[in-house]
Amino acid sequence: MSDTLTLDVIGRRVEVNGEHATVRFAGVVPPVAGPWLGVEWDNPERGKHDGSHEGTVYFKCRHPTGGSFIRPKKVNFGIDFLTAVKNRYVLEDELEEDGKEQIVTIGNKPVETIGFDSIMKQQSQLSKLQEVSLRNCAVSCAGEKGGVAEACPNIRNVDLSKNLLSSWDEVIHIADQLRHLEVLNLSENKLKFPSGSAPLTGTFSALKVLVLNRTGITWAEVLRCAAECPGLEELYLESNEIFISERPTDVLQTIKLLDLSSNQLIDENQLFLIAHLPRLEQLILSDIGISSIHFPDAGIGCKTSMFPSLRYLVVNDNQISQWSFFNELDKLPSLRALSCLRNPLTKDDKDTQTTRQLIIAKIGQLKTLNKCEILPEERWGAELDYRRAFGNEWKKAGGHQDLDKNRLSEEFLMAHPRYQFLCLKYGAPEDGELKRQPLMLKNQLLTLKIKYPHQLDQKVLEKQLPGSMTIQKVKGLLSRLLKVPVSDLLLSYESPEKPGREIELENDLKSLQFYSVENGDCLLVRW
Amino acid sequence: MRECLSIHIGQAGIQIGDACWELYCLEHGIQPDGVVLDSHQNQLENAKTEHTNASFDTFFREIRAGKHVPRALFVDLEPTVIDGIRTGERRSLFHPEQLLSRKEDAASNYARGRYSVGSEVIDLVLERTRKLAKQCGELQGFLIFRSFGGGTGSGFTSLLMERLTGEYSKKTKLEFSVYPAPRVSTAVVEPYNSVLTIHSTTEHADCTFMVDNEAVYDICHHRLGVERPSYASINRLMVQAVSSITAPLRFEGPLNVDLIEFQTNLVPYPRIHFPITTFAPIVSADKAYHERFSVSDITTACFESSNQLVKCDPRLGKYMACCLLYRGDVVPREANAAIAAMKARQSVQFVDWCPTGFKVGFNNRPPTVMPGGDLAKAHQALCMLSNTTAIVEAWARLDHKFDLMYAKRAFLHWYIREGMEEAEFLEAREDLAALERDYEEAGQSF
Repeated sequence: MSDTLTLDVIGRRVEVNGEHATVRFAGVVPPVAGPWLGVEWDNPERGKHDGSHEGTVYFKCRHPTGGSFIRPKKVNFGIDFLTAVKNRYVLEDELEEDGKEQIVTIGNKPVETIGFDSIMKQQSQLSKLQEVSLRNCAVSCAGEKGGVAEACPNIRNVDLSKNLLSSWDEVIHIADQLRHLEVLNLSENKLKFPSGSAPLTGTFSALKVLVLNRTGITWAEVLRCAAECPGLEELYLESNEIFISERPTDVLQTIKLLDLSSNQLIDENQLFLIAHLPRLEQLILSDIGISSIHFPDAGIGCKTSMFPSLRYLVVNDNQISQWSFFNELDKLPSLRALSCLRNPLTKDDKDTQTTRQLIIAKIGQLKTLNKCEILPEERWGAELDYRRAFGNEWKKAGGHQDLDKNRLSEEFLMAHPRYQFLCLKYGAPEDGELKRQPLMLKNQLLTLKIKYPHQLDQKVLEKQLPGSMTIQKVKGLLSRLLKVPVSDLLLSYESPEKPGREIELENDLKSLQFYSVENGDCLLVRW
Repeated sequence: MRECLSIHIGQAGIQIGDACWELYCLEHGIQPDGVVLDSHQNQLENAKTEHTNASFDTFFREIRAGKHVPRALFVDLEPTVIDGIRTGERRSLFHPEQLLSRKEDAASNYARGRYSVGSEVIDLVLERTRKLAKQCGELQGFLIFRSFGGGTGSGFTSLLMERLTGEYSKKTKLEFSVYPAPRVSTAVVEPYNSVLTIHSTTEHADCTFMVDNEAVYDICHHRLGVERPSYASINRLMVQAVSSITAPLRFEGPLNVDLIEFQTNLVPYPRIHFPITTFAPIVSADKAYHERFSVSDITTACFESSNQLVKCDPRLGKYMACCLLYRGDVVPREANAAIAAMKARQSVQFVDWCPTGFKVGFNNRPPTVMPGGDLAKAHQALCMLSNTTAIVEAWARLDHKFDLMYAKRAFLHWYIREGMEEAEFLEAREDLAALERDYEEAGQSF
């Protein structure tokens, strides 16, 4: 390969001293004699120029220092799949013929190696290989036809990440020979994906997991590749600068997990296009820069028809700063688990407890938040706190104890869509709960009227007594006031809210608070 | 047939045990009721004729075709935790006689666990142990799971270990102990319980793998994205380490087939038997496939303190022995290269007098993760057991807390009341001080 510069070299993926690149040019670069390859490095700063030399443009690079000219001899075009498998799993014949254990020395210490032999024998039985890892092994092609199928047909799980595969077709050539392939990892390969709709090959009929992180794939290409995988369950597309451009019809319908992390071009509107995947249970949207979400087909308090099966949503490392985000998530019918760490709203370390409680209260069907189970007691506490915390706002917005008289403002309903439901569940918040007075002594005093039903000529007194005062002490105070012995006094009280009802204060050791004596009530003293 | 009996004591031991057997069942294709899944049944059939992978007989007993029962015993002095197992997912996995509980617990008190309440139940436990041992063709030894800080875990275990040594003197006893940590602690008297139990069990245990709740808590919180790790998350991570350590016993593999080999490889002196466990890779399930770790990456990670399951700094100490247990798709050549790279690091210092250095082994089954768990599945994993003098830091912390309380004789009356004497406290503390000195001596050059 090294000396013939045929045009099919263009587009090939190569490796030079550990750095990967794509061949963009093959030919002569005057004035220096001899063949040259023009390559565009994966690492944009590795090169010297952008494909032009002394004024002439030989090839184009995306980056001004992305390209170099290299002698073909220095470039590694890669090996075929089967050779890579053999390299890794079979020991060469020259070594280890006598079967002696190698002694490795580390520092001054010899390292005892046990079992290297039997492991190697086992791996030599390539046909038994089921899980194969060929990461960074410079695999560029499938090799001779049928070679893989003959040697290691039982491979179910292959990691081909960071290799030199240059096109999807090459991948098909490999996968065609692996009828049982269930998991395929092609991350960090800059593949040329199919551009038009080609006839389906039935290659990936058994494939369940496809990993295409950092391959530069576009959404349209994703759909074309997915068309080959009718049973696909998990699809990983991290860091691809994907822009979801169309709605998948007939493809991706079996998908259970979709990882779109670190695709910064995705926004909430694009999510509508994947909202109708019927089996999608897990959606990973970490680090995509999302800050809001909305489901326009559902009104306040209703469930949306989008993402019908979504159980677990991951939105870590995003830009969520509004509570409305979580209000919207409540509309998802199947949502049971959420991870939303490291967002501006949840970043404040001091308040993580409150944030957690608020999220729990806002999303009713959530069972796990940030990988911590929400126990029923926690939910109960969070919802009650929420109900109390926004009780005053609710009142101001038109909330009423008597639910028939409720006329809540649109604004309030938008901000607190679950509030009505919480009122139904726990009862509407009462005024007593909502009052929050500062904890000064005078605020803890009850202003009480004191009446003497048997002595009508006595003036009605008003006294301020702490709620924690025991009946015994109250009697003592009254006894000194009225010059009546304590043992003769009988106390009871009535409340202006419930006229006619008199409640006896018979236990001397209990406090006024115990009997629920409140501000404005009237103590009745008899003797 | 070299069977191993697992004994789970106290709340920690039992909850770890529950997670443990859940993981073992997943790894061996056994359903929660003990029946082997069909696809694995075929493997088992073939294995019987080939005498290979049938090794899980070391941990499970087949009572009739297809139904397997763990070789385990769960003991607690109060019923609530064991009731959790009796009514939980794996209730049909265990025979009712394997789940022992009493009504009155040890109340976080070593003295109750060891003397008053524990002594009432010890005979029953030993009887059940005998029964389980009889079912073994050739019992290798015991795996004891317990915490240092609890009453049952500390007190009852001490009693049990003493009696086990008496009855089964030739059998190995390995411990998996949970070292107390402030952030996930449940009792103020944990230092007392820990010091007392370490003093009484050291001579009976052959090797103790310690796991520190705080280290695991940190890993769960920072690396796995768990906001407030519960015992469930912590235990799930811990049992991955337990699984790696017991993998050579349960799967066909070339390294450490016998429990005795653990001792031989890791324990230079009888008392210096506390290796630290490190595990790699630790990747959150939400970030599966985002980063790929090579064999050299996971080897390097194991020498970093952030992957350790006990909080201490190995750079401040010297290694006396190191076992690297690779799992999954690891080629010996790559492991060699990775280890050779570690040699270049200044931070990996060995003591002068220990010639073995590293011991490396392979098991080609990759680790299994629990579905819905926090860890991502990995192709290759490494569990490192290293006996380092840096662990003296853990003892020092414990001793310091003990001293602070003992100086004021705080909480002491709870122990005295149950029949203990102050002398025992002093003896125990002396023993721990001697242990610290032993470690320091071991780390010194000639």
